[in-house]
Amino acid sequence: MVKKGARKITLSIGDGANDVSMIQAAHVGIGISGMEGMQAVMASDFAIAQFRYLADLLLVHGRWSYLRICKVVIYFFYKNLTFTLTQFWFTFQTGFSGQRFYDDWFQSLYNVIFTALPVIIVGLFDKDVSSSLSKKYPELYMEGIKNVFFKWKVVAIWAFFSVYQSLIFFYFVSTTNLRKIFGLWDVSTMAFTCVVITVNLRLLMICNSITRWHYISVGGSILAWFIFIFIYSGISTPYDRQENIYFVIYVLMSTFYFYIMLLLVPAAALFCDFVYQGVQRWFFPYDYQIIQEMHRDEVDNTGRAQLLEVGNQLTPAEARSYAISQLPRELSKHTGFAFDSPGYESFFAAQLGVYAPPKAWDVARRASMRSKPKIGHKK
Amino acid sequence: MSVESSSTSVAVTDGQSKNFRKPKYSRFSQQELDAWQPILTPSWAISIFTVIGLIFIPVGLASLFASESVVEVPFRYDDECLPPDYKDDALEYIQNDNINKTCTRNLTIKNKMKAPIYVYYQLGNFYQNHRRYVKSRDDKQLRNKASENDVGSCSPEDYTSTELGHKPIVPCGIIAWSLFNDTYRISSNNKDLVINKKNIAWKSDQLAKFGSDVYPKNFQIGGLIGGARLNESIPLSEQEDLIVWMRTAALPTFRKLYGKIETDIEVNEEVMLVIENNYNTYEFGGRKSLVLSTTTWVGGRNHFLGMAYILIGGVSLLLAVGFLLLYVMQPRPLGDPSYLSWNRNPGSLR
Repeated sequence: MVKKGARKITLSIGDGANDVSMIQAAHVGIGISGMEGMQAVMASDFAIAQFRYLADLLLVHGRWSYLRICKVVIYFFYKNLTFTLTQFWFTFQTGFSGQRFYDDWFQSLYNVIFTALPVIIVGLFDKDVSSSLSKKYPELYMEGIKNVFFKWKVVAIWAFFSVYQSLIFFYFVSTTNLRKIFGLWDVSTMAFTCVVITVNLRLLMICNSITRWHYISVGGSILAWFIFIFIYSGISTPYDRQENIYFVIYVLMSTFYFYIMLLLVPAAALFCDFVYQGVQRWFFPYDYQIIQEMHRDEVDNTGRAQLLEVGNQLTPAEARSYAISQLPRELSKHTGFAFDSPGYESFFAAQLGVYAPPKAWDVARRASMRSKPKIGHKK
Repeated sequence: MSVESSSTSVAVTDGQSKNFRKPKYSRFSQQELDAWQPILTPSWAISIFTVIGLIFIPVGLASLFASESVVEVPFRYDDECLPPDYKDDALEYIQNDNINKTCTRNLTIKNKMKAPIYVYYQLGNFYQNHRRYVKSRDDKQLRNKASENDVGSCSPEDYTSTELGHKPIVPCGIIAWSLFNDTYRISSNNKDLVINKKNIAWKSDQLAKFGSDVYPKNFQIGGLIGGARLNESIPLSEQEDLIVWMRTAALPTFRKLYGKIETDIEVNEEVMLVIENNYNTYEFGGRKSLVLSTTTWVGGRNHFLGMAYILIGGVSLLLAVGFLLLYVMQPRPLGDPSYLSWNRNPGSLR
């Protein structure tokens, strides 16, 4: 009803067999695994172990997931747009004949080797605020609901900077080559080097939390590019009909020009992004940025104990009942049916003074319940 | 029973019975890796801008200085060297082999040029980066004699016509076919300034890309002559003009090295250029120039690099000052909770 009528995204959570249809009907279904068997878990999109983990799931992991997906998708479009637009400006100079700017191998391996790993690392590890702060400020969840990080405005700004960067790449490299005797493939190798370096450094600029894997992947990607071009320029196989890139990088790297351009072009390309980030953070800060600043001096203690701790949320009475519930206890023999508790018949029978022993099949059934959970029926 | 957090955690660990099927704990999978959080505080922004400015401006000035010290003397001659009788019929002039194409001009060099002086020919509106042009070559054939017949992508300059025996052309392709064939002689005070035409091509090209056992064959013997003829007794690895020409340029206006002059040219020296105006650029409105140029560590005379550096450095310093002023006048205190959106507009959450 809420789903169709109010047209909101719905989340349902349940742990029993009777919750399966509700879990399936909602947009996001969460199953609790545990005492009542695994039916709910098998039908659900997410499975957690205890009800109280729901807060973590939503406020911490759900939020981070939204943030990461936004970053990964937008960055992917940006890096490909930049790379392709640089070629696009070249077509104006070729008489629109369709000559490619980059060598075939550069193009093929761009998304596979030279820019692939860093964005995966960001998608895995990026956190805007720590998990404890995420739970302390649940209002941060509104960023996801209002789709703050993937609005058209955000995408347009990234696209604009992509166009700007591609213009820098193409025109800086080609204008400084007007009076040089470098050929097409030398110019394009220079431009491609600048693109790879800039695009990887840009990723570091959008990270909210940088681990050593970020350094390894960004540095590794740039290094992979250099290793590749050293090898590619150094070999000449009998299988190539056209050997355009032979020795190009060695000649390039023997000129001052190469190093001067390598300092200038990425800096010029990232300059505007940097200014934009500075201005945005100062004058139009996001909520998570304020919270980052508020807690910037606190050590991020994300030890396991803290993750499971609920001490800051429970009253002493709640903490006590929680502690009691954690004590080892009898496994429940409920089957999910009403009036189906063990010894039900015998209880009411005993009240009337009739002796009704437990049925053999009932005993056997309950004893085998642990290994063979029954499929629940709809009531 | 009073419960303290320590006993809670004890109970927790006790409650986790052997039935728990937890995944193996690692900091990687639990996202607990050591991380630092980059926060772009105003002080960071201002210092980064200042550093960029302080590095870029001197580098830019050095580049600009070096570029300024380059002496470059361009001389456009495709219009100059067209005889006035043929002003309206340039094609007739250029295609007629009986007309003398020698063109003599005098040039005054206004600054001293120190050796080595590079002599370039510059072509304009010549699309060496056209797709069909770039593709029209065969590097395998250029490299070794055994692949002489490998003329796959060189059409239409792959085989001679059937009347001439349908033989493979070495070197094949339009790039080689359109080899530039203007020649220059430069003299000063009636003394020839020798133009050294050795080592003008990339060493790697000479050693590896163009074979020393490959000789030109059946070259420019068809009906349409596109450019220079090649001496059939010199192997390709020593045909430096061809090697330089075959490094296709990136833009429609480009320069290629013709040779080097190893002596100085003094101030206000009058040099006489003797140009053989053979190459047909009149058909497509191309432009030809002869350029004399010295070089420095930054290359030829190109102010763009220096200007770009100075521009970025200058804007950077301006922004540093601007941010500093803003910081002083309109500071947003770092980590001020009153800027949180739910504190600024209460009730906006729903």
